[in-house]
Amino acid sequence: MDQTEIFEKVIKILTPYVKNQEALASVTSDTHILDDLKVNSARLVDVVLEFEDIFEIEIDDDDVDSVETVGNAVALIESKLG
Amino acid sequence: MESGFEPVSPEIQGGLRIQREITRLLAPVALPLVALVLRFGFRYRIERLAALRADYRRLCLQNSDPTIICANHLTLIDSFVIAWALGSPWWYLRHFRTLPWNVPERTVFATTALLRGTMYVMKCLPIQRGGERRGITEVLSKLAYLVSQGETALIFPEAGRSRSGRVEVDSAATGVGRIFKSVPKCRVICVYLRSEHQTTYSNFPPRGDRFHGRLDVIEPKTDHRGVRGSRDIAHQILARLADMERSHFDDRK
Repeated sequence: MDQTEIFEKVIKILTPYVKNQEALASVTSDTHILDDLKVNSARLVDVVLEFEDIFEIEIDDDDVDSVETVGNAVALIESKLG
Repeated sequence: MESGFEPVSPEIQGGLRIQREITRLLAPVALPLVALVLRFGFRYRIERLAALRADYRRLCLQNSDPTIICANHLTLIDSFVIAWALGSPWWYLRHFRTLPWNVPERTVFATTALLRGTMYVMKCLPIQRGGERRGITEVLSKLAYLVSQGETALIFPEAGRSRSGRVEVDSAATGVGRIFKSVPKCRVICVYLRSEHQTTYSNFPPRGDRFHGRLDVIEPKTDHRGVRGSRDIAHQILARLADMERSHFDDRK
């Protein structure tokens, strides 16, 4: 699975949790998930669990700390997929 | 058992020891003062106070396993009321580790130097919920360290006051699960405490209100690892608190 495909899937997973739809329209790898997309931090766990289900990976607690931007999420998933 | 957190540095360990000792030194004044404010300032009362404290004493004396207290969360002063409900100032002075560390919201309780100082001497480690993940993890790792050292921590697994006024099992944050997984032989004491006229969340419980409380011990188990395991543990704790809430309302009928 290439980076573009992961990126698209990540955006699809994030979409139901995004409160700032304008930011979603112009989303890039640098878009901050909490600050720009206004995803509720408590819901970030649900997002991560969906990453696990959709990409069939396991994400450690520590890994979540590194996920701030969409690009961070894509990089994490890419590293887990090997 | 997952390692959970980066080891707490010797400097931070030292800082926590200093905070603990300062808190202990001031406790003979601070603890009775808090109890007086709650009892005579806010005129709160706690039903079956002696029995509740006896239950907590029994659990503390039964064994010295690392302990996390998990409670429902409806008001800004829940942690103070819970500590008051579980032990007398005298008890806490003699068994200081059973006075729980708290994680109050930084944007509410640490906005001025006076508040920060007050929180410091009340065994508090302010946290910014919804803030930067690394900052949250840093506070959680301190709590995990303290619990592993025999201290008690009070955590609200919903990570915020319940907006519905009821325990929200689906609002489970992962912090408590993460701490639980990282501390061997950890046990969880669930505390459900609610005042009679507390219909939903608020800043303070209604003045003069009477609280009803109950507690129970659970040992969550999970086959999952990572974030899913942490969430699973938090879910189990909140499910128990939701059961206790049902019993609370059944008793009130």
